[in-house]
Amino acid sequence: MTETIARNPLAVALRYGALSILAFAVVCPLAWLALASLRPQAEIFQPVSEFGWRTFVPSRLTLDNYRALMSGDFPLALRNSSIVAVTTVVFGLVVNALAGFAFAAFDFRGKNLLFLLVIVSFMMPFEAIVMPLYVLISGLGWTNSYKALIIPEVANGMIIFLFRQFFASIPKDFYEAARVDGASWLYIWAFIAMPLSWPTIATSSLMLFLSQWDSFFWPVVAASDPDYAVVQVAIARNINFEQNDWGGLFASTNLAILIGMIPFLLMQRFYVRSLISGGIK
Amino acid sequence: MLSSRLTPFLFLAPALIGLVVFRLAPIGIAVAGSMTGTSLMGDLSFVGLENFAYLFTDAEFWSSLQVTLLFNLIINPLQLAVAFALALLVFQQGRAIWFYRLLLVLPMAVSTGLSAVLFGLFLDGNLGPFNGFLEWIGIGAQAFHRNQDQALGTLIGIATWKGAGYWMLFLLAGLYSIPSSVQEAALIDGATPWQRFRLVTLPLMRKPMAFVLVADTAINFLFFAPVYILTSGGPSGSTSVLMYQAYLSAFTFSDLGRSLAISTILLMIILIIVALELRLLRSPEDHAA
Amino acid sequence: MKLGRRHFLAGVAGAAIMGSAGRLQAQTSVSLSVPWMGWPEEQVRPLMASFEASTPGVKIAEERLPIAELFRTLEVRLSARSATPDVYLVDGPLTASYAARGHLLDLGNLVGGERDRYVASTLVQGTFKDKLFALPLGTSSQLLFYNKKLFAEAGLPEPSADPEKRMTWEGLLDIAKKLTKPETSQFGFAFENSNPYQLLPLPQSRGVKVIGDDGLTATGYVDGDGMVDVMTWYKDLFHTHKVSPIGTFQTGVTQEMFGSGKLAMVLGGTWNLGGFAKFKDLDFGVVAHPFFKGGKPVTPTGSWHVGINPRTAHMEQAQAFVKWMSTRDAMNLWFDLRQYPPSIKQIWDERASTTFVDPVWKIVQYELANTATPRPITPGYREYEEFLRTAMQDIQTGGDVKALLTKAATSIDREMRKYR
Repeated sequence: MTETIARNPLAVALRYGALSILAFAVVCPLAWLALASLRPQAEIFQPVSEFGWRTFVPSRLTLDNYRALMSGDFPLALRNSSIVAVTTVVFGLVVNALAGFAFAAFDFRGKNLLFLLVIVSFMMPFEAIVMPLYVLISGLGWTNSYKALIIPEVANGMIIFLFRQFFASIPKDFYEAARVDGASWLYIWAFIAMPLSWPTIATSSLMLFLSQWDSFFWPVVAASDPDYAVVQVAIARNINFEQNDWGGLFASTNLAILIGMIPFLLMQRFYVRSLISGGIK
Repeated sequence: MLSSRLTPFLFLAPALIGLVVFRLAPIGIAVAGSMTGTSLMGDLSFVGLENFAYLFTDAEFWSSLQVTLLFNLIINPLQLAVAFALALLVFQQGRAIWFYRLLLVLPMAVSTGLSAVLFGLFLDGNLGPFNGFLEWIGIGAQAFHRNQDQALGTLIGIATWKGAGYWMLFLLAGLYSIPSSVQEAALIDGATPWQRFRLVTLPLMRKPMAFVLVADTAINFLFFAPVYILTSGGPSGSTSVLMYQAYLSAFTFSDLGRSLAISTILLMIILIIVALELRLLRSPEDHAA
Repeated sequence: MKLGRRHFLAGVAGAAIMGSAGRLQAQTSVSLSVPWMGWPEEQVRPLMASFEASTPGVKIAEERLPIAELFRTLEVRLSARSATPDVYLVDGPLTASYAARGHLLDLGNLVGGERDRYVASTLVQGTFKDKLFALPLGTSSQLLFYNKKLFAEAGLPEPSADPEKRMTWEGLLDIAKKLTKPETSQFGFAFENSNPYQLLPLPQSRGVKVIGDDGLTATGYVDGDGMVDVMTWYKDLFHTHKVSPIGTFQTGVTQEMFGSGKLAMVLGGTWNLGGFAKFKDLDFGVVAHPFFKGGKPVTPTGSWHVGINPRTAHMEQAQAFVKWMSTRDAMNLWFDLRQYPPSIKQIWDERASTTFVDPVWKIVQYELANTATPRPITPGYREYEEFLRTAMQDIQTGGDVKALLTKAATSIDREMRKYR
């Protein structure tokens, strides 16, 4: 719809006008953060009464805050979080897409009950299940390892739900045709269903990646050894009730955002109309 | 259409094993734990529904429940509407649109806790640039999360700032799955843009919308970090959501049973609301929940 | 029906787990799991490295955690009755809470005979029911920092650094009014934050009791007339006299305001000396904590302690580590790394003519000997602090003093019931 008709110059102007205002509002706090991270430690904040262009533009740019980060343990935390997040994405995509496909393509006994369980799996506060989970993980001898951070997070009810919603919108005759040709269900999933779902794969990857990139409490409980410190923990160390390192906080937050956006940049190109979708229905 | 009764279960097995071991079993333990009391020395005893009975007579619980429901009644429709509007705005091809999409989704890489820290400073009455701006344009400084009447709204604003672009992506993926032939047919029929949106786009967006609404509802009922970081449930209890009460009970009052009872109640509420949402957005051809 | 938590959880989680509980050993070198504050690495590692050098075969895996997560992860792991952590950092006032729930080893045998080596007031907070459960790693005090330039601009004489001639709160308010300039958003005075640690000396200075003698009763104390009077005085600083900036809930914020010359006086801990160091143009002086006219000087105290998890699988090594933390060498190094006022007398003596000639340290030493008053000793300090802090913050933002304190007192009493 909008894609094909927005050629009216007024409509185009309105669209970009609205987008510009919204984007400005969204980016403003982050721009302030990014600019403040380039200030010398003593000038990070500007008093409210002296609002002006100085509030945003530093008098002197410095990379001191970033240099301090890079010489500390932040690079290790970036590495740990990247390993954990990327591994989770790889396994999580396969595992959850398979399950989502099963819910969408098959009819079987207990389907509604199992689906209910999938939904329930993301409705309990993590704080409520952290204790039994910790007992389990330490019983398995997994504390202070990547396993503890990755394996419990691979199966994800939300991602299963997301895949199920997408696969359910593909007409079943699509699969039937392949079945008639003798293809196995695994083949159909891998070579027919998945290639149709690039936008869903992209969003699922982002969701899995960000859930790990943002994770904080579980790593602190399950893998608090300094060798396994993750990004959010490294960032939060700058906040301390006796004295805050605002420069370190801003610089590390800024880096975490920039690196956290890499998956999105990689995935952007999958937000296109899939080739076959024109032929559905 | 099934070749083997086993096939669906083979597809489900890896995910279900993971969910059962790392989520569902702990959830079961937590629900069972809501019917226990813990002595100071850590001994557990079965107390039946005592924790629930206590909560139902506790005024704090009821006011917290109210805050939670109010928060969710506003934030979930709001985020869905904003995300949908954004998705329609960026449903375009071209380099410029890529750039706008990037800007709109930037906040999703800020963790919820950090977004609270960031806005705590951005909106600070003494150091924050936003109050400087408000004074400069003549509106005057606002207390935001430090004001009883503005705190909940401020939290909704922060959560929406972070969430809108994120949920936009899911809806955008949905828009791209709508066959263009359907749109073109409507175009040929001479439908107005509003008619096309209401009669063609909206019905075909039911599934992505259902996903976003359900996932967002679950996340927002469990919304917690900004309350902890920015308001501690205040001022005067105005942001004291159930999650915060559950947190306090477990980690400050060492009363795990009560905390798990609150979590269990939360689980029930979310389930009921999600069931309603799924019913509301059910596609005509759907049989399953 | 009673069953141990461990059995209950483990039973549900599966029998396979039970057998592997003791699989940790078998290495020749023992590594102790030690949750610690998230202080910068260079302020933590050297201490641990020094112990490792002195004790072959024991490694310290210190976990530098942000403060809120330190408390949360300790709560999860201790409540799970886990064998880790082996040794952990204890916030002084939480000693009673951990000890009452069996999460701390009685250190009586370890340092029992050496109590005289410590500044007496620093042992109070680590003691519960007459037993020492957590060893102090130093202590703390609050000082009044003032900006010399702003005093000169306002034509005010600088206050005396002699603790015997300390300011009264009444006198401070007069000065603060002269230092407040709304047109440039300059404020006269602020507490570094609004936690009970910082604010309890206010009622205590007027002789108001802040908790019942049993350590479990808040009603009549937290909402008593004396407390209401004092907290009304506190509220007036923000809303009537407008000499204090509303929203100063965290030290990081007041430090920035003081450093940038927007705040003329701030009452804060010795850690601010480090925090102010980055402001090159800041010229500040330090005097002793004020008191109410007719009352007595009272200063807060207490700091970080270290304790042993009684369920540790490495009891011998854990004890060796904590024992080492009580040595002069360890505490001397710790002072070099982070300048908490020492809890060991010997360090005060050794540095008397070097580090501690600075008038700041003279004041701190005076306070520790004469005015230092620990926070209430109660197993429910966590609950007490939570409700009181919330009330204090709400009072600062303009809430009704009596109503807020009454609600806090009722809530504290409700949560304290379990300790009776």
